[in-house]
Formats: sequence, structure tokens, C-alpha cells
Amino acid sequence: MPPQLRLNAVAFISPQNHPILIRPFSQSKDEQLKYHYLAHTSLDVFEERVNSGTKATESYLGLLFSMENAAVYGYITPLKMKIVLALALSDVVVRDADITTIFRALHMAYYHSVANPFLKLHTALDTSGDHSALMLAGSPKWESFRRRVDEIGRAAGAQV
Amino acid sequence: MTARNSFQGAPASMIPSSSSSSSTAASGLALADAAPRQMDGPVMDYFLIEVVNVLADSSKFATSRVKKIEQEMIEAGLMSASPPVPAKKEKEKEKEYNVRDSTTSLTSQKGTVKAEPLTDEEEAQRLRLEAIGLHVGANICERLCRDRPLFTDTLDMIKFICKDLWVACWDKQVDNLRTNHRGVYVLQDNSFKPISRLSSWEGRADATKRARMYVAMPAGIIKGALSRLGIQGVVVPEISSLPQCTFQIKLPKGS
Repeated sequence: MPPQLRLNAVAFISPQNHPILIRPFSQSKDEQLKYHYLAHTSLDVFEERVNSGTKATESYLGLLFSMENAAVYGYITPLKMKIVLALALSDVVVRDADITTIFRALHMAYYHSVANPFLKLHTALDTSGDHSALMLAGSPKWESFRRRVDEIGRAAGAQV
Repeated sequence: MTARNSFQGAPASMIPSSSSSSSTAASGLALADAAPRQMDGPVMDYFLIEVVNVLADSSKFATSRVKKIEQEMIEAGLMSASPPVPAKKEKEKEKEYNVRDSTTSLTSQKGTVKAEPLTDEEEAQRLRLEAIGLHVGANICERLCRDRPLFTDTLDMIKFICKDLWVACWDKQVDNLRTNHRGVYVLQDNSFKPISRLSSWEGRADATKRARMYVAMPAGIIKGALSRLGIQGVVVPEISSLPQCTFQIKLPKGS
């Protein structure tokens, strides 16, 4: 990724609209809550984009909206999981291809973590598809997921 | 399980080690498009066959352990003796074991195989195989959905299962898909890979009976894929004649 892109935050939202992981990359503490709010707002935009129009078959939704100092991009997988990316607003031209690559890397990080059977060893054998109950983002088991997301963030030019 | 027939071991690590701060687009691409790990094809087949046998032993042990504890409790007077459950039933319906219901009613309607309901141990083994399949199916589905466009409707999802999932797991596509447009789909595979080489020296009927255990995990894989797609359905495998296998998928009302 060209280092001019400044990644501010990444958010993963489950198909049932529960947050999986919200990871802000900014330094200040008071900004962190802002990204929770941002992820929540983007849910509305996701729904609107997905429900409107019959030709909504792209995973990458592009720029959802922009707030004061952040441009928010969205990506929805065919399994209805949503990934939200907040970029710092700047004058640099942002290429769709770069952002799509970041989103795909994030999707892979999620897939690798969720595919680990040892994380669900002690839960019921036949759970329904909802992982968010298992995925309370603060739990120590999901350490490697957070590490992978940080790795991608670093590659994309965020200061972790 | 993609591209299984090769001898490559696990290729280079997925995440580039020690990415420097001046990482370029290359490392980002490496993270996004890492090649899938590959495994020898026949090894996978042997492994899946052995899984069934190992779980048979394991679940026998587990149920005997549970029965022993139950027996001890009965003797100590803590638990009243439960009425003995008949192991083999012909056509009577038993309300407790729902799976027995479905195997006896479906196959006895067909009339081809005299269905013997599964014993307790076999039932436990089948449940464990299906649970493994659930997990595997969900994650294969997640992986396969990466670069494809969003699904348009339920039929599209079933077609995805028939084509992409079947090719990834069993190297071919489903031969026949039928639906009644009210939530019931029948997938027919004329030469289903896990049971295509199965034979028993006791004859065809015995081979068909044993094959039921080997399709438990594939049924779980389909069920897991469906649940990850957001549909809670019931998947029932039926083997009428080896190596042909049909899976009946029942989706809840409204989908």
C-alpha cells in the first residue's frame, strides 16, 4: 500500500449485526468511541445499499459516507459479514484496487481465525451460525485475530 | 481441500514475516491473495475413511462410560431405572429419536432398503461426525465465498452448494437438483465420492448399511455451509443404491 493512505480504524460486523472487532489505529484515547459510533452508522448505509436496486451484486461497496475527518469504505461478504474501513480524509487519490486488496486481506484474517476449531472446543456441538457470542472482542482467545488485523493495518500504512 | 491431487506440503507462510515499515503493495497483496495450503489427495481420502472408524471406537467408549455411570446411579437409588429401549425396530415410530423417525419413514417408503435404525452408539458417532462436518462446511463456505458476487436468492445459494462446494470437496458437481419451490431441495449425486469405493464382503445390503456412517460427515458439511449462508435447514442423506446418494434439504418456511 502506498504509505500515503492513513488507516484510522477497522471494524468487523457479524451477519446478525453484532460487532466482532472494532480496532481504531489512532493514538488518542477519546477518539476510540467515535469509531464505535461510526461502525453503527455505517450499518444503516449497508442496509440501504443492499436492499435498494436489483443489481447490487458487488462485494465492495466503495465509499459509504464521509464524516468530519474520515472517509468510510464498506465491504460486505456474500455471507453478510460486513467490514468497515475508516481512512483519514486527504487529497490523495484513493484507488479502489488498493482498498479492495485491504478488504480481501481482512476477510482472510477473519476466515483464518474463525476456522480454528480449538476456539469452540467447549461450546455445544451444533451451534447455529452466530459467532458473535463467542467472539467478545476482548477475550484473550482472539489474540491472533487481532494480531493479524494489526499486521494488515501496518502493511496499509497505519501507525499501530 | 482445493487442488488436492498434488504432493506439495504447506507452502510458504501466509503472513510475510517481519514486514518492515516501508512495506509496499507487494506485502499487502501477499496477505490478500495467499495461496491455499495443499495436501496430498489420496491421503485426504484415507484420512476421511479412518475418521469414521476412529470415531466409532471413541463413541463406543463414550457411551459405555455413560451407561456405566447410569447403572451406578440406578444401583445407588439416585435414578429410577429407565425402560430399556429396544435396539431394533421395524416399522413402529418412536417419538424420542427423531433421526430414527426420518430414516425409517423415508427409506421404508422407498421400499428399497430395509432400514434398521441406528443404535445408541452409532447415533452418537453420527452426531459427532455431523458436528465435525458443520464446522468444516461453514469454513469452506467462508473461504469459497471470497471472490464471488453476493447471492441473489435461496436458489442461488443452493446452486452454489451444488457447484462450488461439491467441486471443492468431492471433485465433481451434483448430477441432479430438484426442488418443489417450497423449501425442499433434493440433490442427487450418481457417484458420490466418499462411498464410491465402498464394498462389503457380506453383500450389497450390508455395504449400503455401513455407508450411512460415511455420509454423515458430508451431510454435516452441507448443513454447516447452509448455516453459514444464513439458512437453518435440515439435511438428510439417503443411499438407495451404491454409489448413488441423494441429500434432501428441508428449509424452514419463508425461504
